[in-house]
Amino acid sequence: MEERREIVHTQDVTKVYTMGSEEVHALRGITCTIYSGEYISIMGPSGSGKSTFFNMVGGLDKPSAGEVYIDEVDIAQLGVYELAWLRCRKIGYIFQTFNLIMVMNAIENVSLPMIFAGLSADEARDKAAELLGLVGLGDRLTHRPVEMSGGQQQRVAIARALANDPAIILADEPTGNLDLRTGREIIELLTAMKEERGVTIITATHDHKMLAASDRVIWVTDGQISRIQKREELDIRVGSIEGAEE
Amino acid sequence: MTTPKHIPFSEDTSAHKLMLPWSRAVEICWRNVLNRRGRFLLIFISIAVVVAFFVSTLAYQAVLAELRRSDEVPIRAALEQANLLTHDDAGDRNQRDRTIWLLTLSGMLCFVGVCNTMYMSVSERFREIGTLKCLGALDGFIIRLFLIESVFVGVVGSALGALAGVLLMLLQLVMLLEIEYISGIMLLRTLSVSVPAAIAGGTLLTVMAAIYPTRAAAKMKPVDAMRVEV
Repeated sequence: MEERREIVHTQDVTKVYTMGSEEVHALRGITCTIYSGEYISIMGPSGSGKSTFFNMVGGLDKPSAGEVYIDEVDIAQLGVYELAWLRCRKIGYIFQTFNLIMVMNAIENVSLPMIFAGLSADEARDKAAELLGLVGLGDRLTHRPVEMSGGQQQRVAIARALANDPAIILADEPTGNLDLRTGREIIELLTAMKEERGVTIITATHDHKMLAASDRVIWVTDGQISRIQKREELDIRVGSIEGAEE
Repeated sequence: MTTPKHIPFSEDTSAHKLMLPWSRAVEICWRNVLNRRGRFLLIFISIAVVVAFFVSTLAYQAVLAELRRSDEVPIRAALEQANLLTHDDAGDRNQRDRTIWLLTLSGMLCFVGVCNTMYMSVSERFREIGTLKCLGALDGFIIRLFLIESVFVGVVGSALGALAGVLLMLLQLVMLLEIEYISGIMLLRTLSVSVPAAIAGGTLLTVMAAIYPTRAAAKMKPVDAMRVEV
């Protein structure tokens, strides 16, 4: 682990929202480092700041104080254009609700980030078809999201996240809207992507199936990291974790 | 770790571009319109009704003015009979003032209506906009998409409205006068001004109504855009 590249580093990240006259401290100083090629799960109850932290890491939100470095770049220093570029090329997003563009079929959905990145329509189509094959949807290229099951839609979303060969895949509750078996398949697919492509995978999740796949689990409670566990430590303690959560 | 002043996007700076070709943007908009026929029908109607009203009122006045200028005895007789040949200047002015007032009022009402419809149409897609931004879309891409859409909607809606307006105006005239007094050339002359003007006006109105919600949507942070529940 020591020789691996730091892909995400957060330094004393705090986030304060003002709700009316009240200040809500969503994050109270989070410092952590995520290395290239890791599978990280961020776990925590609702309202723990898990989602806020996750959004910071993904460059979707800026901290009130502290720094977030993605690939050694402080994202607070980035302008609008560079931030969009970062989202386009460096990070692939997967959402709980899949968020495919409803008017486009599978191949067009996957092509879109490549079009933004400046690939020609033909190049984008070819690569999109290849990626869809990779996630096991080679025979569903022209299906629209409404014609696909949840699991299939999430596969399209994974192919779309991989479109521009990102360094990081951010998955926000990727199995939250899926049944047990489909959820497991999605986790397997993410694990395979990590192993074959060396993508760093960061998920925010409630799903305990995710624990076994994770290299490390970051537990967030009350805006702070309460503990970071490696997989080895997890396996022994799974029982107590299941009991402790919720 | 020190704060890097310059952004070390180490690899290929040439590939630092983000783009959305116009052809793709038009294609996406077209799909959107096809896929959301019901909603767009509503927008078309709301624009068309107003444009129809404008065209019929303006064209009716213009045709009447043309007829009044005519020296042909039968036409004057017909106008007289229909009680349309006023020599009363004060009455004329009064009539004109009322028309202007009516047009202004309906124009404002229409603007509010179209604004509302466009706002709905944009806000329904906040989540989609957030997704696009996560995939690397610049604010400009979003604005471009909705601008193309609103121009299209404006042109189609106004054209439909203009057509309806012309038919309405003809109906109005025919009810008052014999059809033979209204020459095709004269109609063409008056309509060649009022119809393009109405289409241009209707389109402008639609685009103006779309600008505010589109800008607001494009400027949203992706997280906020996706959190919106519609």
